Order: sequence, then C-alpha cells, then structure tokens
Amino acid sequence: MEELLSVKYDIVSGDFIRGGEASSNLKKLLNQLGIRSDIVKRICVACYEAEMNIVIHSVGGYIEAKIYNDKIEITAYDYGPGIPNIELAMQEGYSTASDVAREMGFGGGMGLPNIKRSSDEFYIKSEVGKFTEIKIIIYFN
Amino acid sequence: MKQLFHSVSLISEKCIGCTKCLMNCPVEAIRVKNGKAVIYNEKCIDCGECIKVCPYGAHISIKNSMDDIQRYKKKIAIPSVTLYSQFGKNVEPDVINEGLLKLGFDEVFDITFSCDIASETLKKDLERVEKPAISTLCPTVVRLVETEYPSLVGHLVKMLTPIEISALIIREKYQGMGYKNEDIGIFFLTPCPSWVTKISEISKNENIRINGAIPISDIYPKLLKHIKAKEEDKINHISRTGLMWAYSGGQCRAIGIENSIAVDGIKNVIKVLSDVENGRLDDIDYIEVMACSNGCVGGLLLVENPYNAERITRHINSKIDFTYQIHDFSDIESKLVSDEEIDEQKDNQKFSTNFENAVKMIKIMNKVINMLPGTDCGLCGSPSCKAFAEDVAKGLASLKDCKFLNEGGLKGEG
Ligand SMILES: Nc1ncnc2c1ncn2[C@@H]1O[C@H](COP(=O)(O)OP(=O)(O)O)[C@@H](O)[C@H]1O
Ligand code: SF4
Ligand code: SF4
Ligand SMILES: [Mg+2]
Repeated sequence: MEELLSVKYDIVSGDFIRGGEASSNLKKLLNQLGIRSDIVKRICVACYEAEMNIVIHSVGGYIEAKIYNDKIEITAYDYGPGIPNIELAMQEGYSTASDVAREMGFGGGMGLPNIKRSSDEFYIKSEVGKFTEIKIIIYFN
Repeated sequence: MKQLFHSVSLISEKCIGCTKCLMNCPVEAIRVKNGKAVIYNEKCIDCGECIKVCPYGAHISIKNSMDDIQRYKKKIAIPSVTLYSQFGKNVEPDVINEGLLKLGFDEVFDITFSCDIASETLKKDLERVEKPAISTLCPTVVRLVETEYPSLVGHLVKMLTPIEISALIIREKYQGMGYKNEDIGIFFLTPCPSWVTKISEISKNENIRINGAIPISDIYPKLLKHIKAKEEDKINHISRTGLMWAYSGGQCRAIGIENSIAVDGIKNVIKVLSDVENGRLDDIDYIEVMACSNGCVGGLLLVENPYNAERITRHINSKIDFTYQIHDFSDIESKLVSDEEIDEQKDNQKFSTNFENAVKMIKIMNKVINMLPGTDCGLCGSPSCKAFAEDVAKGLASLKDCKFLNEGGLKGEG
C-alpha cells in the first residue's frame, strides 16, 4: 500500500544546535493529523534518539517518515562510519560517545534500546565504512 | 469553536496593523486581517507578550478595578505573594496588608498559608504523574501544554493552586458566619493577565468563586500612599516557604525537591517542554515551569523588576523563621479535587477530526509552502510563510493575500 504522506529531513553531523528539529517538525505534523498523544510521544522519543545518533555518531544522513492509514514508518539512514557490533551497540548503557557529548547529557547508551522499546517493529542494518540504517514502525492504535 | 474568555484582548480602534504582535506571539495566535490584528482565542495562552510589544497600546488585559469590590458586603483580598516584593526591602508585609485594609478591604488573606498547603498536595501528587512532573501554578504554562504539547498532559501535577485553596477557605469561613455566598466578594491581586483568565474559569465552581482580579500595578499608586518603611527584626505572621513561591526556583526550594529544575521565560519554557517530549529529561523528578522571567515576580502587571523583586523577597524571607505546619489537608483536598478533566480537545493543532481530511489539508499546506519565498514577511497577515500555508489549508487565508505570489511569483509556476 502506498503511503499517504511522506517527509524527509536532512541531518547534519555535529550540529547540536539544530539537532532535534526533525523530530520537532515530525511531532507537529502528527499533532496536525490528530494522532493520539501517547503515540506521538513514542514516535517523538524514537525519532529524536535516531536523529541524535546521526548527529553524534555519523558523518550525516537523513530521516524519512512515511505515514500510512494505520502506522508510521521511519527510516533513519546515515553514510557511515557504521556500527561494527550491533549486538553490543544495542545493549543498555553501551556507548562510544565522546566526553563532550556526555557532558551535554548525551551518550548514556540508552538511545538504541529506547528506540526499540518505543516502536512496534524495529530493524537495524549497518556496514562498517558504509552506512547505518534504522527502520521502525509504530502503529496508530 | 468554543468561545473562550481571555484576559488578553485587542482594542481594534488603536491597532494600526503593524504586525509587531504577530511576529512576537510565541504560539502564533495572532493574524492581521483587514489591517487589524485578531487574536485566535483557541490558541492564545495569555502570556502577555503582545501587550509588551504593542507600541500603540492596542493589546490590553481585561481586569477588575477597586470599584468592583463595593458590590459586596464582605470584601476580601487575596494578594499574590509577589505583592510583598513591590515596595522595597524595608517595607514589611504587615504594612502592605494594613494599606489594603485602608483601601477598603475587610480582610487580607494570607496566601502563604495556601502556598504551604499547595506544597503538601504537590508532594503527594509527584508520585502520581509521569516523570518528569511539570508544575501547574502558571496558567499560561498549563494552557501551553494543553494546546501545543498534548502528549505531556500526563506530566502535569494536579496540585491545588494557592488561589483556589484560599478562595475555598474564605468562602467557608464567611458562610459559616452567616453570609450569603453572593455577599462575599473575593478579589485576587494579580501579577499577570493569565490569572485573570484562569479565575474566570475556576469561578464556574461557586465554592471557590473569585469575584475578580485586580492588577497589582493598578492598586500600586493607591497603596503607596499608605506605606511607610518600617523595618522589623523578625516577621512571623507569614510563611517563609510560602513566600518563596514568588520567584523562579522558589517552589522547588520550598518543597525541597533536589532533583528538579526551574525554568522561566516563555521561550525557555517552550525549549524545555520540547526536550521533555523528546524524552531527554526523564530522569528529573520535577520541573518548575513559569512563563515570566524569573517566575511570577516577572509578571506583566507588576511594578518592580523581576530580579530586584527576588532580592527583596529574599531579604524579607531572611527575617522569617515561620512556616505553617500542614499535617492534614484531606478536607480541603476532598472539596477541591480538580474535577477539571484536562480535555485534549484544547489541543488545537489537529487539522480535522477526520484523518483523511487532515491528510488532504496537509498536502495542500505542503504544496503552498513550496510556492512561498520563506521570507516570513508578515504582509499576508500570518506570522510566517509556514503559518500562512497552514491558514490556507484550513481555509482561514487565501493565496490572494500573499504579496509575493501576486507580484510575479506565480510566473514560475508551470
Ligand atoms: N548512526 C550511528 N552510526 C554509528 N554508530 C552508532 C550510530 N548509532 C549508534 N551508534 C553506536 O551505538 C552506540 C550506542 O548508541 P545509543 O544506544 O544511542 O547510545 P549513545 O548514543 O548514548 O552512545 C553509540 O555509542 C555508537 O557507538
Ligand atoms: S497573550 Fe501571548 S499567546 Fe495570547 S495573543 Fe498575546 S502574545 Fe499571543
Ligand atoms: S509566571 Fe506567574 S506571573 Fe507569569 S504568567 Fe505565569 S502565573 Fe502569571
Ligand atoms: Mg544515542
């Protein structure tokens, strides 16, 4: 089935000031659509964490959200450096974030686990030196 | 849409359509239509920014005056705690209260008592809401959450506000003395338009009816005549913890919540609420959120600047070693259970109750956005190109209103 709406936001590596804008914009769109607020909150959390991972850990990428009748599908894609050990990265508390990022309250190692917890379906693919792609689906009811 | 009362409103005759307010409203509640500003009531959060920026005095706050108290047999004032920070550090609260009696009130209620009760109800409620708990003392913040951050409604504490608690105690007392409810006139001396609006809402419940709100800036000159500096070494008729509610961070201190933050100023509030929504602040217990700079001492209807007002409050506080010991507030609580079910209908972002319609409108909006220059010139009467596109999609504005499109911008369209 084809999506009803789709939006795409470019995410710039290292831009902490604008980091979070994609999830803010997506939130506004979901509120305009009248999506239930507890679901908006889950989408917000997942999208924000994925967005910040691109800002902090990657060379840059994008977030694309496709809205269907009954669900939203979010793809967070970046152009590397990739995750060498996905199983390890998925562990709560595991982080390779720099001290600076940690100082700012990032790098708690809870991002990926929280994305997974917030979503109904969660897929992650990565190839070192090439890309990381997270795909999540959250149903509207 | 339901017509809501708002204290902040516009005198059309004074408005010249300059767009200053349009650009400064933090929630984009203002449009200029036919050369005059219009406030969309369902969006307005009564923050008062438009009153501050309007060079022509066209934005005003509807309020009560001292004349209004004459209608009642018993006239009781509930002063905001901020009142005591307005007359310099050598004027003690008692002197100010005596001044109010001379102005015609029969009683000045000690709101710090209600603040101490509110603190207890707040402590209890912290456990019951989603973390981080968000304060509800500032009506502008509550309205902002309801209208723009509906997903955070579950974080709002259901604390009873000191103003409501005071009204309940006063009504019960005078009714017990044999006065009819309609003879009891209770007036809040307010630091902001936001509370004027809130009072009109809570007064639907006749047990806590407040008959009006008088701006502190309005009674200030009259009160000043009755005020003499009189510094005491000790003050013990007012609560130290209660008085702290006046400035940003005071609530957190009064209640003793360590793992908390205090946020003040509407722009900062918006930033922090977004962070909460993104799940960044889940490990914080309590967020004290106030729309004005430095909390209520930054209220629009006060005289002293917010920072000096805090200093004065702290100075007075240093002489008080008294706090009401509240052990049991179940009686008040049972009568004041905030039956105001926070209704998500206040969420005004939704384009349509029908999902498919909303999708259609968003498609129109996106199409319009792509046609616009993105300069946010405001000449169309909407605060930004994005807001204009939204207005067009909602049928509130027409493409004809855009100066850019009508001066050749359309040529490029295939
Ligand atoms: N997009 C990404 N590109 C490269 N590495 C990533 C990416 N996302 C996550 N990682 C790696 O996975 C680890 C865990 O991620 P996460 O759970 O979000 O915690 P945090 O971001 O706090 O470090 C990160 O420290 C990083 O090493
Ligand atoms: S009071 Fe605040 S929210 Fe209401 S119209 Fe004025 S600036 Fe906007
Ligand atoms: S911070 Fe205080 S003074 Fe300012 S709007 Fe809110 S309640 Fe009113
Ligand atoms: Mg992360």
